[in-house]
Amino acid sequence: MTGFMDLYTEGNTFLHRTDPRVKILAVLFLSALALIIGSLEYLLALLAFILLLLALGRATLAKTFFALKLVLRVMVLIVILWPFFNPSGSPVLFEYGIIKITEPGIVSGITVAVRIACLASVWYILMFTTTQRDLLRALVKLGLRFDFGLTLAIALRFLPTFGAIVNSIKDAQRARGMEFDRGSLVKRSKNYVAVLVPTIVSALRTAETLSLALQSRAYGARKDRTYLRDLNMRPADYATLAFFSLLLILPVFAKYVLQVSI
Amino acid sequence: MIPRPSSRRPDENFFIVAHDIKYVYEGGIEALKGVNLRIKSGDFIAIVGGNGSGKTTLAKNLIGLLRPTSGSVDVAGNRAEKMTVAELAHFVGYAFQNPDHQLFSGTVEEEVRFGPRNLGMPDAEVSKKADHAIALMGLQNLKSEQPLSLTLGLRRKVSIASVIAMDPQVIILDEPTTGLDAEEIADLMTSIRALNEEGHTLILITHDMRLVAQHAKRVIIMANGRILLDSDPPGAFSDLGLLRSSKLEPPPVTQLAHSLAEFGIPKDIATAEALVESIISARSGRP
Repeated sequence: MTGFMDLYTEGNTFLHRTDPRVKILAVLFLSALALIIGSLEYLLALLAFILLLLALGRATLAKTFFALKLVLRVMVLIVILWPFFNPSGSPVLFEYGIIKITEPGIVSGITVAVRIACLASVWYILMFTTTQRDLLRALVKLGLRFDFGLTLAIALRFLPTFGAIVNSIKDAQRARGMEFDRGSLVKRSKNYVAVLVPTIVSALRTAETLSLALQSRAYGARKDRTYLRDLNMRPADYATLAFFSLLLILPVFAKYVLQVSI
Repeated sequence: MIPRPSSRRPDENFFIVAHDIKYVYEGGIEALKGVNLRIKSGDFIAIVGGNGSGKTTLAKNLIGLLRPTSGSVDVAGNRAEKMTVAELAHFVGYAFQNPDHQLFSGTVEEEVRFGPRNLGMPDAEVSKKADHAIALMGLQNLKSEQPLSLTLGLRRKVSIASVIAMDPQVIILDEPTTGLDAEEIADLMTSIRALNEEGHTLILITHDMRLVAQHAKRVIIMANGRILLDSDPPGAFSDLGLLRSSKLEPPPVTQLAHSLAEFGIPKDIATAEALVESIISARSGRP
């Protein structure tokens, strides 16, 4: 939970300065690219490019690895299992009964794993370099209703708070002799009621107070809102957008119009 | 289920002994910078200090919710580090500041029975301890009420009762009077005093210096992760500079006594009764 909250890394790099809307679009374009590209070589090039962007955004190696660790298990599983379920093409490397492993099977397994790595890591370009505030402002600018944006912002804002409340509740129940990791499954799930109920009650009490606080500051009094800090596209943002658009358009053109295999 | 560890008592006089405990939070904040503390059975101790002085961290180290980064804690003659929180709960009870963090049952009675049942007490004993705790907190008429629907003052009483029912020798109360009105505070403190008179050791964590002056037998002032002063209430209030440097304000009666110092009133006055007495003796002492 807190890992998610810590994604943003303070900095003033080119990526930090880029308009968050441009970053969202760029990430979507790169994701589309990862789905369009079929060959392992080009996908590896794309992954290298994404990692380069992460490095440009001051993502440390440790942080990048933390981000990739989440999908690493899936990747390993796909690389191992894919050849068994996709025994097409030749040469056949190994055959025993119904088990048949081919070289194209192994290659396509690795390809899918790299594609997943691309799709997962590309979002960190956005998350590492954009504050939550900017991210939500961009989503609202792109058409998300302001209430939804605000709801999302509040949800994200309260995640660590609730993490702390849950810990305090767990401590309070442990002090009453409750043990979370002992006893049968039934007993353990019963124990969780002792954590769940106070958590929900605290959440409801907080929500009630918060809604009153919002109302008392005239939330929703006017339909049209003004913003303290507005987003403005600079020439550099247009250039970046053009660059990432071309990065998607050219391969699409090559693949679907020129029929080049990529 | 959780066997009550035998209490060996090499040192009969002290139920809890903390040796030079230090505690560093994840992220490097040094909350305790070497605390030594000996707690006698039956004492009524107030731990006071500004926010962030280490009061709660110290208390959590006594029940094993936090384990000292260095140093050690002995509870009932056992090394606390060798016991789980549930085992320590036989000896040390902890009522959290926010009762809503522990109440979850459908009725007050169920709530109070939760702790002793966790400790594996037989049913008859659970009922006996629960009834006693409910009576002590004056909740007899609310036994079948839904705890979460009660007022804050009553919710806090239920949460304290649920700790008393486990019958620990030491009971830690973390800011039990926050958010209560004067009548609720007086009511709660009467119950807490009764608890102390039964022989329980009480550790009261608070900001409320009037409460300390009226009830505590021993005051521990903390600042910056250290114990600054450890004395009886009058002694604790005689040094205004020390109190203020630890972000505390002495009770009004003590401040009045300090203002009257030139008329021969001693500075270590903690209660109104003591002030009245000293005024009378100062008058009668005059020719």
